[in-house]
Amino acid sequence: MRLEKCWFCSSTVYPGHGIQFVRNDAKIFRFCRSKCHKNFKMKRNPRKVKWTKAYRRLHGKDMTQDTTFEFERKRNRPERYDRNLAENTLKAIKKIDKVRSDRAASHIEKRLKVRKDKERREAQKELEQSIHLVKAPQVLRQDQSLTLPKIKVEVSQPKSEKNQAMEE
Amino acid sequence: MAASFVSKCSRGDCSLFRGLGTNVSNLLSTATRMTWSNFLSQHQRTFIQMRTVLKVVDNSGAKKVMCIQPLKGRKGARLGDTIIASVKEAAPNGKVKKGAVVRGVVVRAAMQRGRCDGSEVKFDDNAVVIIDKQGQPVGSRVFGPVPHELRKKKHVKILALAEHIA
Repeated sequence: MRLEKCWFCSSTVYPGHGIQFVRNDAKIFRFCRSKCHKNFKMKRNPRKVKWTKAYRRLHGKDMTQDTTFEFERKRNRPERYDRNLAENTLKAIKKIDKVRSDRAASHIEKRLKVRKDKERREAQKELEQSIHLVKAPQVLRQDQSLTLPKIKVEVSQPKSEKNQAMEE
Repeated sequence: MAASFVSKCSRGDCSLFRGLGTNVSNLLSTATRMTWSNFLSQHQRTFIQMRTVLKVVDNSGAKKVMCIQPLKGRKGARLGDTIIASVKEAAPNGKVKKGAVVRGVVVRAAMQRGRCDGSEVKFDDNAVVIIDKQGQPVGSRVFGPVPHELRKKKHVKILALAEHIA
């Protein structure tokens, strides 16, 4: 049993899922679901479609280099069954998964931090440069020229058009 | 969309517009049906049935055959099934001549076929390998990829001759 990767979105294709297309030069394209298959048939490039892993990797949205990726690799030699080894592997899977998700989260945080810092700096600058435009509320109450004058407006009675339509 | 338009017309008391509204809805529905049928004809792959022309991917001499009888299945043959075919194009000095009636195994089909684990497989084109009455391939080479399901159908010789097994 082998867990393959979807050609389009790079997600895992579990046994019994999806469709595979064999081109005449014997290249196999595996798809995890009909969404990916349809996108392939539309000749879309996964690097240009935003929800794929390829796009996210290419545009620096996800982390690309990490030691935890080394564990998930295609191996052509089957491992001989060993009870202890299997037990340890199962324990390690959970631990490695936790490490990887933590690192991915920190990567995203680091990526978003740059913009937050920039926004904060710009706000600081704007505050310094244009603080003179802001008036204190006490000043506004005293000086009438700074506020708009109050005007009274007559409101006519609204006619009941809905009732007329209903009667017809 | 058309239905909502019609309902809007009938709710408001506009007898003048009612006839026009139904006309428009008719037009719209015919247009959508036409585009839908176009879409189907372009993308829907079907069974290999009578008069389907298939490529021959061995060196038996035949180049193109036309299916005249699928040997299994009510709707037609699929990947791995055997068909009876008539040779439409053949190389000048091959084993199989033009006009001969031969048997062939469908080794590639554009219509998807379920695999034993529930996933599906499909190929680029419809291709056939010519076999004799005993089920042995007539040619001595097979070109292009073939599915491993042929082993289940007892065509081990074709699998042994194939370049790629998908």
